[in-house]
Amino acid sequence: MSGAEPHSEAAPGEDVEADQESFVGTGLERVEDRRILTGEAEYIHDKAPEDAVHMALARSVHPHATIENVDTSAAEDHPDCLAVVTGEDLQADYNPMPCGLNEFEEWSLAVDKVRYVGEPVVAVVAPDRYAAEDLVDLVSIDYEQHEPVVDALEAREDETVIHEDVGTNVPDGETMEFGEVDEAFDEADNVLEREYSWGRISGVPLETAGVVAEYDTDDDAFDVDCNIQLHTLVDDTVYETLGYPPEKVNLEVPPDVGGSFGTKIAIHRYCVLAAVASQQLDGRPVKFVEDRIENLQGGDMHSSDREYRVRLAYDDDGTIRGVDTWFVDDFGAFPRYPVNQALKPLSVVTNAYDVEHVRYDYELVMTNKTSQTAYRGFGVPAHLHALEMAVDEMAHDLGADPVDVRQANLVQPDQMPHKIPTGNVYDSGDFPEALDRIQNIVEEREVCEGGLLDPEVVEAKREDGKYRGVSYTIHIEPGVSGSDWTDRQRTEDGALEEREREDVEELPEHFRIELQEDGSVQAYLATDTSGQGHQTLVTQLLADQLGVLPSDVEVGYLDSVTAPTEYGTAASRMAVMLSGATEGAAETLRHNCRQLAAEEAFGSALDDIVYRDGGVECQQSGERLELHELAELDSGRGQRLTRVQYDYDHPTTELPEFDEALTQKYPVYPTAAFAANAPIVEVDTKTGEVEILTFYSLRDCGTRLNPTIVDGQAHGGLAQGVGAALMEEFQYDDEGQPQAITMFEYLLPSTKNMPDIELEHSETPSPFTATGAKGTGEGGMIDGPVAIASSINAALREYDFVTNQIPMTPHRIRQRLRETDEGE
Amino acid sequence: MNDSSYVGYMSSESSSHSLDRPTRTVTLSVNGETVEAEVEPRLKLSDFLREECGNRGVRVGCEHGVCGACTVLVDGRATKSCLTYAVQVDGASVTTVEGLAGDDGDLHPIQESFHQEHALQCGFCTSGFVMATKELLDREPDPDRETIEEGLADNICRCTGYQNIYDAVERAAAELADADYPRGED
Ligand code: FES
Ligand code: FES
Repeated sequence: MSGAEPHSEAAPGEDVEADQESFVGTGLERVEDRRILTGEAEYIHDKAPEDAVHMALARSVHPHATIENVDTSAAEDHPDCLAVVTGEDLQADYNPMPCGLNEFEEWSLAVDKVRYVGEPVVAVVAPDRYAAEDLVDLVSIDYEQHEPVVDALEAREDETVIHEDVGTNVPDGETMEFGEVDEAFDEADNVLEREYSWGRISGVPLETAGVVAEYDTDDDAFDVDCNIQLHTLVDDTVYETLGYPPEKVNLEVPPDVGGSFGTKIAIHRYCVLAAVASQQLDGRPVKFVEDRIENLQGGDMHSSDREYRVRLAYDDDGTIRGVDTWFVDDFGAFPRYPVNQALKPLSVVTNAYDVEHVRYDYELVMTNKTSQTAYRGFGVPAHLHALEMAVDEMAHDLGADPVDVRQANLVQPDQMPHKIPTGNVYDSGDFPEALDRIQNIVEEREVCEGGLLDPEVVEAKREDGKYRGVSYTIHIEPGVSGSDWTDRQRTEDGALEEREREDVEELPEHFRIELQEDGSVQAYLATDTSGQGHQTLVTQLLADQLGVLPSDVEVGYLDSVTAPTEYGTAASRMAVMLSGATEGAAETLRHNCRQLAAEEAFGSALDDIVYRDGGVECQQSGERLELHELAELDSGRGQRLTRVQYDYDHPTTELPEFDEALTQKYPVYPTAAFAANAPIVEVDTKTGEVEILTFYSLRDCGTRLNPTIVDGQAHGGLAQGVGAALMEEFQYDDEGQPQAITMFEYLLPSTKNMPDIELEHSETPSPFTATGAKGTGEGGMIDGPVAIASSINAALREYDFVTNQIPMTPHRIRQRLRETDEGE
Repeated sequence: MNDSSYVGYMSSESSSHSLDRPTRTVTLSVNGETVEAEVEPRLKLSDFLREECGNRGVRVGCEHGVCGACTVLVDGRATKSCLTYAVQVDGASVTTVEGLAGDDGDLHPIQESFHQEHALQCGFCTSGFVMATKELLDREPDPDRETIEEGLADNICRCTGYQNIYDAVERAAAELADADYPRGED
């Protein structure tokens, strides 16, 4: 997309292009970097109002217990104690937090009962954090313990129900059928059925949650600075809990957030508690920074934890006829917002394959574990893993090469755009070509003398018990989620059948630009950011669109009160939604500048004025006005033309292809970025250790607005994919005690585990988006784990080995090898 | 950095409470300035630098010695300030990320290389990586990939997948070799 002025009013042949070259599509250096590199960036942990005081939380040590008595007197008697808040205090004056399913009630501090280790029970406030933690030690809580519910499969039949009032440990689930599933399974030559499991894995950003809340006694309102994700969407979780209208609770997120990956949408509990404490202290600012142990054991930030059963119907020639998946997702103690994480796989249910008959069946289960939040990929990685492992099994059963089986079933380029059985539509892409290309690249570079897969080397390593291999797989990354479908599980039974297309309400992306007196451009995003470089993206787009230099553009953020409700940084929306909004706003501003000049300066018709190179020109007279002159002209006017706002509608609102999915509230993701992967692995059959030697990945996310940032997202996503595949997991013991409460147990990939990544690219623009870009913030985490698992299968092919569990830790590899040896 | 003496963590509120937490005096150099402070023995160096000295570029990601976000140089050695108590560095010379850029505001070649190679996303790990790189290149001016991987193995980045960080370190090494930048202890 060049920085052209596309207005039809320009006379034919009139060059209104900016003279400067375009910044979009280049790797413009990030505008965020300098402040970070010098240490000046202000993250939420750095906010320190003069008179701020500090909160700490007493948390449950039991997974499942009734609270018999809470004694805070010793803490209150301590000279450092400024405030104490208990669940009872909250019950008296505030509301429970909104849950992901209607019938649940969750308080910010436990009331009557605790349901997981790490659940906050009492909040205390002291002059500093050290003192606050001293107070926590003085809080004494008596419990009567109950049998913990730990195993998700058993929980479904367990007599112990962790929410008595709900009456079941399985509060949500649905079976959905698309096509003629039973017929397909009856008619197919073969049916296989297997079980796979996906461990409790999550984002674990390097920065933990933080909040500084201040109650305003004059206005009876709250200012809440915090690093919540989606602050304009999920602000209801804070204001509703406080029992105030939205305009009284202002959430503001600093321009720098130390990573989120979806997880920080669920930090509202901390926001509420700090706000309540500040209200108790007559408006003294209260600060809370979660420590790492709190974050890992009770920080409301675990994610998908699933047991799958997959059935695949296929013919002897390798054609897949039907897919039938069932899974149980261990949601922990409360169903939080991301209950729809269980539904997102519907948007990519058949991956890149052309399959017509699909059954999708799931159950959400409550256990005595920390609740789930969103994590990069939003439930898709586990589905793709289960599906592709079954495809590997099918190839083994047929005695075929898995890549041939995959090729035989891919959606062909002439089928694009391609509607999958669940109503979502893949926009564009040549999947067979991508898979072919990555295979050729690896064969040329590595299956040769000196290559990692040099047959002689592979053979020699084997003598040593080290098995090398590679698998070629292809994966869709659904991007740019719609918002309307996300409350499907809270929609009344029957309401879905009656829905019409006009009942669908999508949230737009909001954006503002204000011309400053010096001619510089001030822009405002309505979304928060956590390292994706949104300021850079917007700066690039505006520099092109307005014909100014990147240094003339300043990008700020709107708080939750000023901004309208909108979706924000979720589901890889931003490259598409933000660029659409930025372009729309810039176009409005260019138009307004011309109108302003017509009305206030040139006295000529609008059609006679063009916008060019950061100013407007009268074509008749040749007169010109620069941006700072326009700003000045505008400054006296009541209705300001140089301050514009724009709401960019979700792409599907104009696309009838999506009507069916939208109306039925099935997940709608109008862009299909994709990756063809080939990680080369070496499995040590003695130790069970897996080393990834090099990770080849061919990625296509349509038009790349900033290739540097896109590649950065791919590297980072793949690193999380490597972690998930091999080492990350929140395990619990049989008593419900969390086993990963420090970074010594929840292992993140370090320089020691990260392979070299060889990125290849193709660019298939999306026909559905303004710039041709596709959403691509989640890719490597979606397709990394399954690709690695498949390569492990390839390496151990002679053992007839298919991995059945993520993460594949050395212990599990050894165990699986033993099982396979014994012929299962 | 001002040179007044700092009272430790009990500062702002201590007057209104009858606290008698024990304190000790420490004197150290922080980015070349002498700092004298009364601190509680339990005060972590990371908190001391952030809260008392105003060096908030020192980041805290885990407080148990795994992530390396809090890495600073103590007498030239990369040190996890979350695992160090302020009283332990009495008499030492501490450098934080704020002490790297030139007085003219120019980025240090390591900082500049991180920027050029897009070696940061959210940036929360960056101070730690930059300081670990400083120590590495002081020790090993021309490191190969393996040495870089080894030298940065105590730091976690959750965003970048490390590839660009390696490139940044290599670029910085080359720049420093060219520029004849002052090395070692400042
Ligand atoms: S904060 Fe010091 S190592 Fe993580
Ligand atoms: S850039 Fe986010 S942790 Fe490294």
